[in-house]
Amino acid sequence: MSQPATEAKGLEKTFGNIRALNGLTFTVTKGEIFGLIGPNGAGKTTTLRILATLIKPSSGSAKVFGLDVEKNASEVRGIISYLPEEAGAYRNLSGREYLEFMANFYPVNSYDNHAAVEDAAEISGLGERLRDRVKTYSKGMGRRLLLARALMMKPRLAVLDEPTSGLDVVHAYHVRRIIQDYVKTYGVTVLLSSHNMLEVELLCSRMALINEGRVIGEGTPQELKSIHRASNLEEVFMEATKLG
Amino acid sequence: MANGLSNLIRKEIKEMLRDPKIMLGMVLMPLLIFPLMGSAMNISTTAVAESARQVTVSLLDMDHGVMAQSLSAAFRVMNVTLIETQASTVDEALEELQNTNMTTLVVIPNGFSQNLTLGLKGSLKVYSVYKSLSIAEQAKSTVVDIPISVFEAALVRQAIVQAFPDRDPLTVLDPISVSSFSVVKGNVISISPDVLRGLFISQSIGFPMVIMMLLISAMQVAATTISIEKEEKTLETLLTMPISRLGILTGKLVGSVVVAAAGALASLVGVNYYTSSIYGMMPTEAVNLEALGLSMSPLSYGLLGVVMFVTIVSALALAIVVAAFAENVRSAQSMVGFLNIIFIIPSMVLMFADIEILPAPFQVVLYAIPYTHAILAAKAAFMGDYLVMARSIAYVSVFTVVLLYVAAKIFTTEKIVTARISFRKRGAKTASK
Repeated sequence: MSQPATEAKGLEKTFGNIRALNGLTFTVTKGEIFGLIGPNGAGKTTTLRILATLIKPSSGSAKVFGLDVEKNASEVRGIISYLPEEAGAYRNLSGREYLEFMANFYPVNSYDNHAAVEDAAEISGLGERLRDRVKTYSKGMGRRLLLARALMMKPRLAVLDEPTSGLDVVHAYHVRRIIQDYVKTYGVTVLLSSHNMLEVELLCSRMALINEGRVIGEGTPQELKSIHRASNLEEVFMEATKLG
Repeated sequence: MANGLSNLIRKEIKEMLRDPKIMLGMVLMPLLIFPLMGSAMNISTTAVAESARQVTVSLLDMDHGVMAQSLSAAFRVMNVTLIETQASTVDEALEELQNTNMTTLVVIPNGFSQNLTLGLKGSLKVYSVYKSLSIAEQAKSTVVDIPISVFEAALVRQAIVQAFPDRDPLTVLDPISVSSFSVVKGNVISISPDVLRGLFISQSIGFPMVIMMLLISAMQVAATTISIEKEEKTLETLLTMPISRLGILTGKLVGSVVVAAAGALASLVGVNYYTSSIYGMMPTEAVNLEALGLSMSPLSYGLLGVVMFVTIVSALALAIVVAAFAENVRSAQSMVGFLNIIFIIPSMVLMFADIEILPAPFQVVLYAIPYTHAILAAKAAFMGDYLVMARSIAYVSVFTVVLLYVAAKIFTTEKIVTARISFRKRGAKTASK
C-alpha cells in the first residue's frame, strides 16, 4: 500500500475552554480530492490549519506524506500549499508581482519559478489584469489569483479551505474546474473543506463528515449515500448528525 | 533561506514605498516640514526686525522746551522717525493714532524741561497700541526705549561732569569692568555664555524632538507591516511558505529598518536645513561651531549612527512584538501609540534639564528607559563624550537583543496566528480561534 498523502490520528485541539477537535481521524490517499464537510464550527478550519503547520494539535498526530507536521514542519511547508478561507493578496503589488513573490520562496534548483508564474497566469484567467494592483480586483478575481498561487508550484498536497467561499456561480464553477483539471493533469492531491454539499459531491472522490471535532462518516459520496439510504449528501449529513 | 529572505525584504520595501501614508509620513514630511519650519522662523524673525526698524512714533509735545527738543533729537539720532501730532490732548492724539499705522505715542507733558533743568524728576508718557498679540507688535512698542535711555544717559553724564569735573563719568557710572568667557571642552573662548545659550537651547530641544519623531514613525511602520498581514489576511499564507519564521521576522525588521533609515535620512537633511536657518539668526560670532569645539568629530558621528541604528532596531522589534497580538492595523497602531510615552517622557524632560540635576528616583526611571540613552548620546556627541555614547550603545543593544528574542519566540509559536487583540466599539478584547 502506498504512503497516504495525509494521515490524521486522534487529533485534539483546545483553545482555552473550547474543544475544537475531539479525536479526529481520517486518511487521504495520494492523487485524490478529499473533502472535509461539516457545519460552521465543526473543526474543518482547525484541522486544515494543523496540517498547514500554522497551529499545533493539543494531542494526536498528523502526517503529510509521512512527515510529521510538528516535528518536520519546515519540510511539510516545502511540499504543501495552503489556501485559507479568508485569504488575501498584497494590495499594493500587481497580480503578477504577487505570483512572482510567492514563487520566489521556492528554490530555483528544484522549481522552474518562471514557468510556475506563467502557469498561474494561465489558470487564473486574469490575462492583462495581472498587471494591475491587487487592490483593484473583485472578490472573484482575487480568489482565482489565490487559487492559482496555491496550485502553481504543483504541491504534493494542496490544502484548500472553502475554495469557492463567497464566489458567485460563474467564479465558483471556474475555480472547481481549475481544481479538477489540475489534479487530473499533475496528480496533485487536494484536501479541501466545504459546507457546500453540492460542491463536495461534484468535486471530491472521497470525503469525511465532521461534526463537533470528530469524523462521523468517511467514504465516497456514493458509499455514504448508500449507507444512510439518502438521495443526496445533505440528507446524509442530517442523518449522520441526527440534526434533522 | 537567503533567497526567501531577500525576496521578502524586496517585497516589504516595495509595498511600504507604494503605501502613500508611509511615503508621505516617513520621507516627504520631514523633508518638507523641517526646512519649512526653518524658513518660516527665518522669515518671521527678519520681518519682526524689519518692522521694528521701520516703526514711526507719534509725538505730542505739550512742553515745547529745550529738553523736549533734545529728546526729539535723540529719537532722530537713533533713526526713529518722529511725527509730531497737531492734537491738543492725549485723547485726541490716541484717536488719531488708531487711524494710522503708528503704534506708539510719546507724550511730553508741560513742565518736562523745567523739572529737568531744576534737577527734579521729569516725566514722559508712552502709549503703545496693540493691534495684535504678536512678537512683532511687542518689538514695535520697545523701539522708543533706546532713544529714551540714550537721552537719560546724556542727562546723567552731564550731571556727573558738573558734580565731578575731574573724573571720567564712566568710572562713576560703570566702576567695574566684567569680561565674560565660556569654557567649552576645556578651551577658553571669549564669548559670553548668553551668546552660547541660544545654541544650546536649539541643540537640546532639536535633537530629542527629532529622535522622538523618528522613533514614533518607525514604530508605526513596523507595527503596520505585521498587522496589515493580519488585516489583509495574507499572514497565514506567508507562514505556510517554505521560509522559516525567523526569516519572516528578519525580513519584516530589515524592510522596516530600510524604510525607517530613509525616514531618518530625510529627517537629518530636513533638520540640517532647519538648524542652519536657526544659526543664521544668531550673532555671527556664535555661528562658527568648529571654533567653539562644538562640531562633531567623525568618531562622534559614527557612534551616534550606531546609537541611532540600535535604537531604531529595538523600537521596531518592540513594535513587532506588540503588533503581533493585534487583530488589525488600527489596533496595532493604538497599542504602539500607548508605547509612545516611553519616547515622549525622556524627550520632554531632557529638552529642559540634564539628567544629573533630576531627583534620584526620576533619574533611575529615565536611565531604565532605553530611549533616554539615545538622547543622552546625541547630546554627548556634541561634547565628544565617547564614554556616554559607548554606554548608551551597550544598554540599548542589550535591550534590543532581549526584544528580538521575545519577537522570535512569538513568531515561532501559534500565538502569531491566534492572538487577536482588538480596539473596537467595546474596547479591548482578546480572542482565539
